[in-house]
Amino acid sequence: MEQRVILCIGTKKGVFVAESSTDRESFSLRGPFAPGVAVYAALIDTRAEPRIYASSCNAFFGMKVLRSTDLGATFEETRQAPAFPKEDGRALANIWSLEAGDEEHDLWCGVEPASLFRSGDAGDSWDLVNGISNHPHARQWQPGNGGLCLHTIVRDGNRVHLGISTGGHYLSEDGGETFAASNDGIGAGFEPDPFPEYGQCVHKIARHPDAPGRLYIQNHGGWPDSPGIGVLRSDDHGRTWTSIAEGLPSDFGFPIVVHPRDPDVVYVLPLEPMTRTCPDGAPAVWRSEDAGRGWGRLDRGLPGERSYFTVLRDGMAIDDVAEPALYFGTTTGQVWIGRDGGERWDCLFDALPPVNCVKVAAV
Amino acid sequence: MSITVRVPTALRVYCDDAPVLKLQAPSVRAALDDLERTHPPLYRSVCDETGTVRRHVNLFVNKTHVRDLQGLDTPLSEGDVVTILPAVSGG
Repeated sequence: MEQRVILCIGTKKGVFVAESSTDRESFSLRGPFAPGVAVYAALIDTRAEPRIYASSCNAFFGMKVLRSTDLGATFEETRQAPAFPKEDGRALANIWSLEAGDEEHDLWCGVEPASLFRSGDAGDSWDLVNGISNHPHARQWQPGNGGLCLHTIVRDGNRVHLGISTGGHYLSEDGGETFAASNDGIGAGFEPDPFPEYGQCVHKIARHPDAPGRLYIQNHGGWPDSPGIGVLRSDDHGRTWTSIAEGLPSDFGFPIVVHPRDPDVVYVLPLEPMTRTCPDGAPAVWRSEDAGRGWGRLDRGLPGERSYFTVLRDGMAIDDVAEPALYFGTTTGQVWIGRDGGERWDCLFDALPPVNCVKVAAV
Repeated sequence: MSITVRVPTALRVYCDDAPVLKLQAPSVRAALDDLERTHPPLYRSVCDETGTVRRHVNLFVNKTHVRDLQGLDTPLSEGDVVTILPAVSGG
């Protein structure tokens, strides 16, 4: 029985851990850990005794992976961070994604330049996954504004979905040994060919285990000449994709999140595409309760004006407690909670450093 | 060729809090090679996996930046001091 809700908040200036009882009425805050250092990725691993992992992108001294075995009371560096083989010629520029693997100490890690690493010992050593990191397309991918990053790892048995900006969606059906571009229907408004084989600027991918084959993507939308390419759904394990953007104020955004118990309920946070800030200065989360056929605005408690923040790709999460709460962190250093599935919003913290990622788990 | 490597405070966690390391090295590159063998986490904080000194880390031999000498091939003499310093940058 879960007793606590843990939030892990990666910021431009370190990682914070917030904690509440499962009523989520108030949260304590500890940190920053790795103070002053940007943290882009975090994982609250609840497969066994809970562990928290966080990337630490030190502009001076390189990448580190942090690990906590006491729910964020303390963090230590793992023995090694992912690193390319010397003869590869590439150097790690950032760590964008940390995900749990099959076995208790298995971890997957997406990095910049876009590549994938796996660890079998809780992050103390790492192996490059050649199937995607040295894919024939890999040297053709181009960096987006955030860098050339492999930012999303979605695992579904032997299927592995990867999100690469700008590479697009890649699918493995053999447990991560080999990968193929799988972007049929995913547009790229910045390419002469609006639907290329690869090279899309996918922002985030989400799935729900109770809806086999279904995936949602927040893609780089906001293109007047390519309307509707920003928010998409697949019902065939990511082989083909269809727009579900109709009804949204903008199809540009970064995060996309699925309800923990209802695969038809999906959340996005639309942004104005040119400025990447809240449309009309009035932030809102938009929810679909029918897998993207229609959308409704959730803004009760959020500012109605003069709010021009951005929520980044890993900046929104949902817990799996009864009456799940949503959380998002902003580039202006706020963390908001949307209780009752986003019906009622309150600001939990209003002056943290700019937020890169928010992860949540009940433990 | 006995030389001294001065370690900045932020990196002393990787060498038992030692502010200086004494080692034998005929060049800056050899000194870094020694650090890679003896203090891998310290080395990885100074150089990336290609062996390139990180962008925001500066190396000095005595009072001169290695870029104004012969880079990593700068020869070292008995008693030289190699100083590792983070650059002035941030935001």
